[in-house]
Amino acid sequence: MGGAPRRKIGLTALLAAAALALGAQSGRAAGAPARGGTLVFARTGDILTLDPTQMTDNESIWTAENIYDTLYVASPDGKTLEPWLATGYTLSPDHLTWTFHLRKEVRFQNGRPMTSADVKFSIERVAAKASNPFAFINAAIASIDTPGPYTLVIRTKYPWAPLLADVALFANGVIPANYGGETEAQFFRHPIGTGPFMVKSWAKGSEVQLVANPYYWQKGKPYLAGVTFLSVPNDNTRRLQLQSGQVQVDEFPPFSMVSELNHMPGVRMTLFPSSRTDFLAFNEQHKPFADIHVRRAISYALNREAMVKAVLFGHGEPANAIISPALWGYDPNSPGIQYDLAKAKAELAQSSVPHGFSTTLIVGSGASTEALLGQIVQAELKPLGINVTLRQVDPNSEYTDIQNGKYDIAFNYDTTDIIDPDELISFSAMGGTTGQQTHALFTNYDNPEVDHWAEQAERTFDEARRHQLYDEVQVQVAKDAPLAFLYYSPFAYAYSRKVQGFDVYPTGNYHLEDVWLSH
Amino acid sequence: MLLRYVVRRLVLMIPVAFGVTLLVFFSIHLVPGDPALSFLGDRATPAAVAALRHNWALDRPLPVQYWLFLSRLAHGNLGRSLFYQSSTMGLLSRHVVVTLLLLLYGAVGAVLFSIPLAALATIRPGGLADHAVRIIGMVGIGMPSFWVGIILIILFGLVVPVFPVAGYGDTWPAHLWALVLPGATIAVSIAPMLVRSLRASLIEALGSDFVAFARAKGVTPARVFVRYGLRNAAISAVNVLGVNIGFLVGGTVVIENVFALPGLGTLMVHSVLDRDFPVVQGITLVFAMLVVVVYLLTDIAHALLDPRVQLS
Repeated sequence: MGGAPRRKIGLTALLAAAALALGAQSGRAAGAPARGGTLVFARTGDILTLDPTQMTDNESIWTAENIYDTLYVASPDGKTLEPWLATGYTLSPDHLTWTFHLRKEVRFQNGRPMTSADVKFSIERVAAKASNPFAFINAAIASIDTPGPYTLVIRTKYPWAPLLADVALFANGVIPANYGGETEAQFFRHPIGTGPFMVKSWAKGSEVQLVANPYYWQKGKPYLAGVTFLSVPNDNTRRLQLQSGQVQVDEFPPFSMVSELNHMPGVRMTLFPSSRTDFLAFNEQHKPFADIHVRRAISYALNREAMVKAVLFGHGEPANAIISPALWGYDPNSPGIQYDLAKAKAELAQSSVPHGFSTTLIVGSGASTEALLGQIVQAELKPLGINVTLRQVDPNSEYTDIQNGKYDIAFNYDTTDIIDPDELISFSAMGGTTGQQTHALFTNYDNPEVDHWAEQAERTFDEARRHQLYDEVQVQVAKDAPLAFLYYSPFAYAYSRKVQGFDVYPTGNYHLEDVWLSH
Repeated sequence: MLLRYVVRRLVLMIPVAFGVTLLVFFSIHLVPGDPALSFLGDRATPAAVAALRHNWALDRPLPVQYWLFLSRLAHGNLGRSLFYQSSTMGLLSRHVVVTLLLLLYGAVGAVLFSIPLAALATIRPGGLADHAVRIIGMVGIGMPSFWVGIILIILFGLVVPVFPVAGYGDTWPAHLWALVLPGATIAVSIAPMLVRSLRASLIEALGSDFVAFARAKGVTPARVFVRYGLRNAAISAVNVLGVNIGFLVGGTVVIENVFALPGLGTLMVHSVLDRDFPVVQGITLVFAMLVVVVYLLTDIAHALLDPRVQLS
């Protein structure tokens, strides 16, 4: 891997992603991978569940992705999908019937072969209950059939372009049909999948131990004998554990520590491009935010460079689009509003409140980032005559208030679990009764044109045309400014130089079957 | 006599527990926030939120929810953690062991630190050693425990790597070893109070007539110190220790955070932030019981040390 530990994201994301892929390749090529050893992660929290259909926290998700496999997976640069448990698929001319051909050599972690019945059972579980967090992802699926042990046919209710990205979601990870004869509760006490690692133990609240799957279908992998995820909430403690060699990976050191970790001997500090975009959200049901000029004025008044410096210590990029540059579909030309005080004043002069007004910004307590950002916003809106009162609440109340529309302005962000822009756009840009009915990230923004383009994109199979539609969405949302796009932030990882082949995808997950420890 | 006293105090725990459940249940529901939203995260579609709230009986009226909680509690069942989807009792029993051990280490460590320091100070009250001990005590009170913890980790985990930097280990010997530094951190935070109280009562005891009499009888200085000085001084020190441990029951969260220990404090913080109601209720109940038990033990120790005290 190259010597550049800092990887800037932004307009050069494509180059960076290419370099990343090359870097990972050369990491593997630098001598034959050594076998054995346990990779120990220090994470900010513990996993909450081992059931892929029930997980919403990243710790659980990124663990599950090394236990369970999906039919397709995202490529390392997050731009395309690659066959995984499937070898390929054919799509009927009416775009309604997807026939997947499954790999024949795949076995579960107990040695039993995996067949289409297992895949059908697993995918059907995802939307089996209305309360399942990712039920929406399989909403387009009408039926699943298994004409042969290695053939799976998915019929959709309507043409659905994001299907391949959807089946690549962790929630669609494959477990044995009917829980291998056990009850659901029994099964998830010691679950099995077809992934490179299997669960050895889980001490709730402190650590998960995984060991190599002897039946793994990628011959010769995984290289590691095991992986342990420790829950270590304190930032300083994780850094000291890395320094002492007690752990090999420090997941999410704070950005304030990045430059220090860059110079720590034996440690590699990498910023991986992520799908995360941070926003300032305006509630259009509260006055005067239904007025586009007010939203645009505020958006112009925000100095994003200063925010990146203050909260990310320079390790990020001002945002220009609702979709992150780390994802397919990002439009580098999206006219997301940038800092320009003169334009801010001009916009406000055209608005219903030309001399300013008073409003409230809710700020999550405990999250020092938001407290700091809140003060920046407060100071930056003053020249416009906008008086911002900060309302500190605990993060859960903050989230509840945002969802219930009890706010004027709030901080929010979005990431995506699939590499297709559909999930993100359907939550953050689509309004009214379209998308996921989250009213454009609870801003109550509703532009029928945006909804129309997004729905067309869901049903269009021509890649160039889809990209064009998402470009239109990005441009319009940028102009309408229901959200002020603030910045893109990367995933920060500090890890021992002994760790080889470690790569974090834009969706945040990592394939640990490719990782090995040099001696 | 002692047994009757203990039983009576334990029976008194029932109304305390009831009061705690009532207070906690309604105060946590007064705070805005929703476990279903927290569980579903940023992918909370309105349909999923409604379905989950129904599954968790959160759409029932509050008094009904409280009644459900109480009737389960009467059967010794604290309900299921919403987030872990497992029994609250199981979660608590794992985490309470860590916190109890931590408190034990802290208490023993504090005593081990305090007695020599207090003895040193009382050799010549007002002397150099006495002043030094008082200054050390002042500094000790002034140091926040998260800072002491980090310094101990750097010294004994990194510079001289005797102890693990953090974590709880996999085996019992590893658990006991891993708790030494966090235990020492707690000891450092309680010891100054204990030293002050021990020093004052030691000086008083050693200056009393019965000590002068013992010395005149020719009892060795070491025996005078332990038999007459320390035993009398211990009476007030036990109370100081008990009160401080009582406070610490709720305060181990900082230590657990720094040392990445899966104790009750950490679980409590997460459960409050996520609004995992059954776990919050379970932990507060356990904390309340722990405080009551620590005070009971303090009273018993007091009575055993001081024959003038009657347990009644």
